[in-house]
Amino acid sequence: MSTTEQRKVIDSRGSFCPGPITDLFKAYRSAQLGDVIELLATDPAAKADVTAWTQKSGNELVGIVDEQGYARITVRVTKKR
Amino acid sequence: MKRVVIVGSGDGGTFTANLLASKLRKEIKGGLVSVQLVGEHLLHPFQPGNLDIAFKGAVPDKYVRAETDLIRKGVEFIKDPAVKIDFSARSVATKSGRTLPYDYLVIATGAVADPSKIQGLAEGALNFHTGGADSRRVWEALQSFEGGTIVVAIAGTPHKCPPSPNEAAFMLDEFFQKRGTRGKVKIRFLTPYPRPYPAEKVSHVVEPMFQKKGIDVVTFFNVDSVDPAKHKIYSLEGEAFDYDLLIAVPPHHGADVIVNSGIGDQDGYVPTDKGTMRVVGQEGAYCIGDATTIPVSKSGVVAHLQSVVVAHNIIAEMNRAKGLLEYNGRINCPMEVGNHKGIFVSATYTSPPVDQSPSTVKYYMKRSFAMIYWRALGGGLERVFDVFFGQTRFPATEKEEPEKTAVAPVASQGGKREA
Repeated sequence: MSTTEQRKVIDSRGSFCPGPITDLFKAYRSAQLGDVIELLATDPAAKADVTAWTQKSGNELVGIVDEQGYARITVRVTKKR
Repeated sequence: MKRVVIVGSGDGGTFTANLLASKLRKEIKGGLVSVQLVGEHLLHPFQPGNLDIAFKGAVPDKYVRAETDLIRKGVEFIKDPAVKIDFSARSVATKSGRTLPYDYLVIATGAVADPSKIQGLAEGALNFHTGGADSRRVWEALQSFEGGTIVVAIAGTPHKCPPSPNEAAFMLDEFFQKRGTRGKVKIRFLTPYPRPYPAEKVSHVVEPMFQKKGIDVVTFFNVDSVDPAKHKIYSLEGEAFDYDLLIAVPPHHGADVIVNSGIGDQDGYVPTDKGTMRVVGQEGAYCIGDATTIPVSKSGVVAHLQSVVVAHNIIAEMNRAKGLLEYNGRINCPMEVGNHKGIFVSATYTSPPVDQSPSTVKYYMKRSFAMIYWRALGGGLERVFDVFFGQTRFPATEKEEPEKTAVAPVASQGGKREA
């Protein structure tokens, strides 16, 4: 893992599908391997969508934490062309 | 004199100008209000017609009218593209060097489909999002396509007309069915979303139909690049697919004038209040349609419904109407699913799309939009739309009272279209 890894927080609260996953992909497009993306989402579909994407793409789902009224979904970029 | 400057003469800009000209007819005639519509093009396209041009062979001219034939009396159309918007000076600069001061500004500059943003896309793919001429190239390519793999890909989000990639796949299936060569053509649909259509309830309709028609779906495919020489498309996630013909929705971004004025987000879209449609933090400035950061469909219907709110709110700020209105996020995107059937993707900020079945009625309603579009731009169908769309706006829960800049009262407000 790179020592210069970045952590980026994407606030998609209030946005419905496909808003959160689209915001995540925008961050993924500009991310480097090892970077961590935290997605904040109120849309209940976001948890399942991000989980499915990490499973298919081989990126790492670090965790999903239920905060007050939203979910904090953390992904580490481990697979990118 | 209160000056309204509208930047962008597409659907939203033209309709807003016409609404203001209608509702402020006497004020404009009396020299109390001016409405200037600043645009780049003399010709105004009906953009949903691009699908018909690309997949049904319609002639591009069928979906184009002269802008000057679409604007009401009282609107000054300035064919001179805006190059800079200056919020602090409250003015718009044009390419020819004019400076247009404003009291009220409406930004309706749309979104730009830009294949150059993905390596190899401009050279390797055709598309139906960059105008009638490029859509016609899709149709021409289909004429000589005898067999092989056609890939329909979404190469960037958000993009104009969310259902259009799905419609493209459905219309390709229909085209080759009619020609009798469907068995020789593989249709593959690449989407960055988790399902064939981003909204789950709509996908419940689309997914089984894709399966039945043999349209292969690949989800979570974020386009990275295209190799035109190898006829291959690659995803950021590491997948790759061969194609014989690639039809891709290009990435979109905001208009140059937004980027060059430094008033947009990283993609060139203008931060906008999703209710009142005011530009965030800017007095007297509004933004509508594809140009905003609001997370709803980039579509003509959305621009149209937001225009009604903005026209009302500007008139309210002039003290010529009561109270501000807020847009409720209503979208209504018709989707053609082949064989004369259609569905509507309808939702608001608080109500996602619901389950539905494709119907012939919805297909013909979609087709009728192409016929009524030009009349709708003039504002003559608002009562019909109010019935069709239901409630799309409601009184604002005032967060910040705008400074009232009253216009001297005039006896009544006009309504009849004059041009």
